[in-house]
Amino acid sequence: MGGSLTEASGECTVAENSELDSKEPLATAVHDLEAAEARLAHARAEEAAAGRDIELAVEEIKDAERDRDTVEVHVTHVNEVEKASFREKLASTLQKVWDISYIELKIPHEPKDVFQTAGEHPKSLMNHLGLTLDEARQQKVIENFCFGIASETGGA
Amino acid sequence: MARANELPTQDIQAGATALDEDIPRILRIMEASSLEDLGWSRPNKLSLLVPMAGIHQGNEDHYLLRLGFQAYRKWPPSAQFVNPETKGYVYPNDQRFVPKLTSPECYTHIAYRPTPQATPVQLVCCSTTLEFYEVLHHVKPEHLWRETDTFLTTIMAIRKALTSFYGGRFSDNGQ
Repeated sequence: MGGSLTEASGECTVAENSELDSKEPLATAVHDLEAAEARLAHARAEEAAAGRDIELAVEEIKDAERDRDTVEVHVTHVNEVEKASFREKLASTLQKVWDISYIELKIPHEPKDVFQTAGEHPKSLMNHLGLTLDEARQQKVIENFCFGIASETGGA
Repeated sequence: MARANELPTQDIQAGATALDEDIPRILRIMEASSLEDLGWSRPNKLSLLVPMAGIHQGNEDHYLLRLGFQAYRKWPPSAQFVNPETKGYVYPNDQRFVPKLTSPECYTHIAYRPTPQATPVQLVCCSTTLEFYEVLHHVKPEHLWRETDTFLTTIMAIRKALTSFYGGRFSDNGQ
């Protein structure tokens, strides 16, 4: 009845308009929400991508630092005629390099073994085992990172 | 393994074969493709000639080491510093071709007599040389030559003495 009266009085359009008016802000809000959610998803994807980029960059920095702080070491076992190469930190001592050499060579450490430089002019490093590779190089105890292991000999 | 107080016995065929076997192993570890790459030579099946150098008072002296494999590998190679012209050693004429080595592990004598009546011989006094056993030198068990050792052990022991215990060349008067 009222509807009719409203229709009759021409108030129907106003009511409908009023209903539409009340729906538009909701639609807008939903639209805005969806847009915001889309932006958030995009931002999250960007954040994830940036996180991966950061991890990659950190790894690259670590690799660069590793290359800068380590050197390739070469060790020859004279008696067993075997050779090994491995990377080692410049901060590692000659004792540590000697110890690791046996692991890399897969040869047991004999009691009378001597750690020495390699090449044409080998010299014993037994009095310098506490020096780091860097210190040994700076003090000219070693000229390079090539080493030898040989058994002590008897003579004199 | 070599034994103390036992005179080495020669086995020329075994020595030549062992040298044939060891040369490629040692070239590989020294990253060389031939003896010539290292400046070494093999004048016959049982010998190697190896140049050596020592620095004394700022001067570099050059020597020629002759390794002999007549009793190898049960025993170490013979090791003699030789006249580079003749490739031999005649005492006293060639004594200047011998470096003075005074390492407790490797010591040189230009005319060693194991007994007063014996003929003097050049002795590179080191448990990695044949002459060391031929003169029946005292040797500790841990220093005995092992059959797994190679002539590289001999070369490196002498090189090490030349690096840290080299006192120059023997003069013509033996001093």
